[in-house]
Order: sequence, then structure tokens, then C-alpha cells
Amino acid sequence: MIEFKDVYKTFDVPVLAGVSLTVETGETLSIVGPSGTGKSVLLKTSIGLIVPDSGDVLIDGESVYSAGGQKLYEIRRKVGYVFQYAALFDSMTVFENVSMGLREGEADRLGKDEVVARVSRALDEVNLDPAIVLNKLPAELSGGMKKRVGLARAIVGEPQILLYDEPVTGLDPVNTATVDHLITEIAERRGVTSLVVTHDIEGALAISDRVALLDHGKLRFIGTPDEFRTSDEPLVKAFANRQAAAAAALKIMEEP
Amino acid sequence: MTGAVRAFLAAFGRSAEGTFRFVGGMSILAAHSVRALVTGRVALRDILDQGVEMGVGSLPLVLVTAVLSGIVTSQQGGYQFTSSIPLYVLGSVVTSSIILELGPVMTAFVIIGRVGARITAEIGTMQVSEQIDALLSLGRDPVSALAAPRLVAGTITMPLLVGIANTVGMFAGLVSARLTVGLGDEAFLYGARLFWHNWDLFYSLMKATVFGFIIPLVSTHMGFLTRGGAEGVGRSTTTSVVIMIISVLVLDALFPPLFLN
Ligand SMILES: Nc1ncnc2c1ncn2[C@@H]1O[C@H](COP(=O)(O)OP(=O)(O)OP(=O)(O)O)[C@@H](O)[C@H]1O
Ligand SMILES: [Mg+2]
Repeated sequence: MIEFKDVYKTFDVPVLAGVSLTVETGETLSIVGPSGTGKSVLLKTSIGLIVPDSGDVLIDGESVYSAGGQKLYEIRRKVGYVFQYAALFDSMTVFENVSMGLREGEADRLGKDEVVARVSRALDEVNLDPAIVLNKLPAELSGGMKKRVGLARAIVGEPQILLYDEPVTGLDPVNTATVDHLITEIAERRGVTSLVVTHDIEGALAISDRVALLDHGKLRFIGTPDEFRTSDEPLVKAFANRQAAAAAALKIMEEP
Repeated sequence: MTGAVRAFLAAFGRSAEGTFRFVGGMSILAAHSVRALVTGRVALRDILDQGVEMGVGSLPLVLVTAVLSGIVTSQQGGYQFTSSIPLYVLGSVVTSSIILELGPVMTAFVIIGRVGARITAEIGTMQVSEQIDALLSLGRDPVSALAAPRLVAGTITMPLLVGIANTVGMFAGLVSARLTVGLGDEAFLYGARLFWHNWDLFYSLMKATVFGFIIPLVSTHMGFLTRGGAEGVGRSTTTSVVIMIISVLVLDALFPPLFLN
């Protein structure tokens, strides 16, 4: 379970202005919202990569911001994080990158063969051929391949909580479907709690138990996919269908 | 108080505060690294990798620098000598210049340019491309993984490099004295031995150890402080080199009053 409690964060301008949100254990919740509203910032506050000005985040009931040192590392190990821009270690091969997703020291304990097997399985799950990518460096991969290696790194350690920052942005339709399927499959098979930031509304409505909309630092909507589709909130409507979005865009352009 | 004075004091206050904060940050990083080391969270392989990269990788440039320092000291010393001072004293001048000052300081400058700059650029790039965030998200400690191995490797490698630089520099000075001012090898060694203190060698290696600790400390700290894309990496690498040079010079200046009496 992830609980955001009244999270505030200001950089040059206020980005998060009191966000409270609970993702229940086993639930898949997607956050949508305009570009630059702080979705990535919100996700980063959940494991202390960005420290909020005020508020707290609880992971399985434990406060990220009162946990010091060792405790914080333990909390982070429960969580798999898929970065918006993959954030692969560029001096390491794909194999080394993905095996970093195992717990510290676990690779030594498991032995080389088992590590290779687990890494290969994770790569398979994100539709990458281990035989081809295993020894490549990140610089030798396409953007979409990097993204999927980042995904494999996040899932290989079988964390109980997964945070996805735009897991399908920049992927082709087949890989988008593969990743969407993977997210639901992992959630169902292992009862994982998933928080997904995405611009892919169709995908979000298909894979999520609930959808939230973040805009101007606050959650403007939170509800089931059906509630999202039928909401009267103008911004939700703009997100829910293309015509409404086009109309909203026209209105923005016509404003002086 | 006039406006100008007040502005000056304000600026001084700000930079003093900035300096304190920087030194404070470095102290925390150093303490954190030591803790990671004693609790066994630093991988031996990382230390070895860094040591080989710093030591073996820097050796050619350190050798060139040492040879040239030896030759130049020897020739310039010989040039300044008049007939009233016996020429064998040159042996002492060359050895003490090399051991006390040139060996440690020139080697430190080589390491700043070759290793320190690289560490800041490398960690800075990891910082701005979210690789440090990725490490944290995987439950790893960037200090144990990145800073501590470099600190340990620097602290061990630097005295070794300086020991080599001292030896090679003195030998180059000896050969150069023979070839240019016609001072025989025995006379050179006689002069060198005449004013020799074992303490000097210890002093030299102590300088080396301190420089070998401070260079990776400043460069990793600056790496972690890097913000803002490729330009930010460039900026923090330049700043890092400036701070490393100044730190080495200031520490070097503190050595004689503290350790030479
Ligand atoms: N480290 C930072 N320092 C300063 N400002 C930041 C930082 N990170 C994010 N911001 C600012 O916070 C705001 C929200 O950024 P964020 O990356 O969370 O947007 P986002 O909702 O994820 O957008 P996108 O959908 O385009 O990824 C932006 O205005 C950005 O400029
Ligand atoms: Mg984002």
C-alpha cells in the first residue's frame, strides 16, 4: 500500500499543492495529467528521490520521511521503479543493468547460472531477446529497448510494489500491448501494488482499477475507468476523448 | 556603514557560508564513506578497479612529469650555483625539492587532471541522467557504490605513485647533473646523503596520502552536487578542478608549519 499524505513541493513554482492519495495493496492505479504538472515529481517523492516540502508518504504503513538510513533502504527494496527515461547505468551491459535489480549480494548467492536465467526471463517478459541484448551497452539500444530494459530491471527482483513512470511512451503498438499486458499480469499473478503514470489513456483505462487526474498540483479526479469515461469534469473529458481534447486545444489557441 | 562595505560583507558572508556548507557536505560524505567501509558495504572489486584505473592508468604521465621535474630542478639548481658553494650540494637540493615538494604536488596535479576531473564528470553525468536515482531506487547506497571505492583507491594509490615519482625524479636529476653540470654520481649521492632525513620521505608520503584522499573526496562530492544536463556537468567539472587545485595548494602550504621544525 502506498499512501501520499498532503504532499507539497515547490521548485520555482508550486508543483504539488497538497496531494493525498492511497493506492491499496494489489490495486493498479494510473495517474494521468498534462505534461509538466508534477506526475514524475509525485512518483519520486514516494521513495524519497525528491523530498517534499511538507507531507509524508507511507509504504506499507511505514513513513518514508521518518525512516532514516538502513530503514529507508529496506523500504526502497520493496519497490521497483521504472524511470521515464530508463535511467540505465551506461557503463554497464544490459545483463549487469538488469542484475542490479536483484538484491545486493543476492547475485553472488544465486550463482551465475541462476542470475543469467532470471535476467533472461525478465528480458523475455518485456519482449527482448536475451541472446541479442544481454551483452549490449545501453548506448547501443533504441529508446524503446532502453525503456524495456529499465522495466526488466525493475521487475527482476520481484518487488511487491511497482512504480511506472510512462512505461509505454515511445513504444510501438505491439510493445505497448506487451507492456500493458505485463503490468496487469504481474499485478494479478503476484498481487503487486502498481502506480502507473501515463499519457496513454486507452491503456490506463484498460489496465487500471482506478484512474486519477493530476493538474495544477492537485488531484482533480479519482475514480474507476467507467467513472472516468462518464465524468462531466471538462479536463477529464478532454483526456477521455480526442474530440473534447481537440476542442480544448482550439480554445487554448484562441485565447489572447 | 556605507552601502559598498555592507555589500562586500554580505558577499563575504555568502561565500563563507557557501564554503562552510561545502566543507560540511564533504565531511559528511567522508564520514559516510568510512562507515560504509568499516561495515563492509564496499566491494573489494570496486576498490581494485578504481585503484588500477588511477594507478596504472596514470603511471605514464606521472613518470613523464617526474623525469622532467628532476631534469629541470637539477639544471636550474646547477645554473644558480656559484663557485663558493660546493657543487655536490646540488644532490641535496634536487632530492629535497623532489621529495618534499615536486613529487607529491606535481603528481597531485596529474591526478587532478586525469582522475579527479573524470570522477566529477562521470558521477555528474550519472546524477543528471537519473542513474543515481536509479541506484537509490534499487536500495543501493551511492556512497558505498561510488564514493567509498574511489576514496580508498585514491588514498592507497597516491603514495605509491608519489614513491615512484620521487625515485624516478631523483634519478633523472642525478643523470641530468652528470650530463649538464658535470657532477659525478658519487658526488651527487654524497650531497644527497649529507642532508638526508628519513623524516622527509615520510613527510612526502604523508602529503601524498592527504592529496590522495582529498582529490576523490572533492571530485565525488562535486559529482553528486551536479545539476542541469550536459552544461551542468561541464560547469561542475570545471569548478571541481579549481577546488581540487586550491585544496592541494592550501594543504601543501599547511604542511611545513605543521610537520617541519
Ligand atoms: N529537479 C527539479 N528541479 C527543478 N524543477 C523541477 C525538477 N523536477 C521537476 N521540476 C519541475 O516540476 C514540474 C513538474 O515536472 P514533472 O517532471 O513532474 O512533470 P510531469 O508531469 O512528469 O510531465 P511529463 O508528463 O512531461 O513527464 C516541471 O515544471 C518541472 O520544471
Ligand atoms: Mg514525467
